[in-house]
Parts: sequence; C-alpha cells; structure tokens
Amino acid sequence: MSHETYRKLVDLYAGDELPTELKEELELAATRDPDLRADMTSLKHTVDLVKQHDPVSFTEESFQRILMKLYTHGVPAETRAPLDPHWQYRLPLSG
Amino acid sequence: MSGEIQNDSLAEKKWLNALANGDATALGGLYELYGERIFRYAYRMLGNRSDAEDATAETFLRVLRRSGELRADGAFRTWLFRITRNLCIDKMRQHKLLDLPGDATVSGGEDRTTLRVTIQQALSELPIEYRDPLILCDLEDISAKEAAEVLKISVPALKSRLYRGRRALRDKLGGSLEKVQ
Repeated sequence: MSHETYRKLVDLYAGDELPTELKEELELAATRDPDLRADMTSLKHTVDLVKQHDPVSFTEESFQRILMKLYTHGVPAETRAPLDPHWQYRLPLSG
Repeated sequence: MSGEIQNDSLAEKKWLNALANGDATALGGLYELYGERIFRYAYRMLGNRSDAEDATAETFLRVLRRSGELRADGAFRTWLFRITRNLCIDKMRQHKLLDLPGDATVSGGEDRTTLRVTIQQALSELPIEYRDPLILCDLEDISAKEAAEVLKISVPALKSRLYRGRRALRDKLGGSLEKVQ
C-alpha cells in the first residue's frame, strides 16, 4: 500500500472504523514513518478525548426550569413523578 | 441496549399519537424521553446552560405546534435534533451580535474542569459545519446516517466534515492535548 493511502486511512483509524487487518497494517507502517505515527497518535487522542468529554449534566434545576418555561406558554405538560418540595433529600418516614 | 431503544420507540409512538389526538399533556412524556439529549446537544452547541434551557423549551413548544403533522415513523428524533439545531444557530447569531459569554465554570475536579472548558471552548471556535458532526457523532453518539439526516447532507459529506472537524479540533487543542497525553 502506498504512503498516500496510509495517510488517507488515518481518519478511519482515529474513529475506530478500520477493520483489524488494516489497522494492524497501518500500525506497522507507522513504525517506519514518524510523521504518520504522530498524525495517527494525535488524531486518535483527540477523538478519544472528545468522546470521553464529560457529559453535560442535565440537573434537576434545569429539568424544572424548562418545564416551567413550557407551563408559562400554557402547555399542560405533565411528567411522570412530581418532585418533593425539597428536591435534594427524600426524608425517611419515622416509625 | 436494543430493548431500551425499542421501549423508547414504543413510548415515542404512544406520546406522539396522544399529541396528535389533541392531548397536550403528552408533551411531558416526550420531554421526559428526549429532554436530556436535546438539552445536552443545545448546551454543546451554545456553551451555556441558560440558552440551552431556552432552546430545549422552544424545541418542545414547536413539537406541540406541529403535533398534527408528527408521525412516529422513526424520523421524529431526527426532526427534533434538526429543530434544536436551527434554534441554536439563531441564538448563536444573536450572540454574535451581542457578544455574550459562555459559562465560565463547570463542575468537576480542577484538571477535568480545565480540560472540559478547553474542549468546549475549542469546539465553540470551530466553524458550525465542523462542530455539528463532531457533537452529533462523537459526543452524542448518533450514527453517521442519522446525523446526516439531521444536517440534511449525504453520509459521505457528513464524514468528510467530521474528519476535517476532528483535525481542526486537534489543531485548536494543540498544547492542551500534549498536557493530558
């Protein structure tokens, strides 16, 4: 496979879209080509980093604020479980 | 996982049918089903919670306005993301005019927070045609086919933008990338 073809495979490598055989061939080619290796490593690292990027937290406050916005537009949207008056803690019943 | 998808699609069908029959309370069911994903997508597009909440609420209001036309044929989720995207683009245009800042802090440990802010900042600096595929495919884990439908482009065009976007993001992250390696 040509050097140019290997270069074109880097995007697929970074997104884990290459079949195993091709991936191994590319990794072998990278041992002989430092530029190719650097390209592969940095791009793969970028993609992994983005995929591990912490999910944005959809907080209870956000959930309720959006619901309030719907209510203020006259939407009688009902959700499955009404919240406790104090959101953070559900106090145990004594007895 | 496939069971979850099947349950979601059954619930989607139930709520959409109820909406089509004039039951506006069914919007709450759809909001429970998709609210979080729509909010996360909007947050990543806009970079701040307040605007993301507005965009999410407006998305569901549009669902209600179009309830007579909506069908549970698998395209609803795609349509929902597309509506959110359009609303986010409108908000981004307003921000460009007003130059409003994004959220400065997010929760988490200091290093993780810095990294999150750095990634969010780098994402927000990417041109929209690169940011869109990155958020949909790499962050929201939506298939290339569905992401292409949301963006109304072909799958090859989507992949081309995704690959270019990843490279542009790598260039923007630059030094930050080396620090976490």
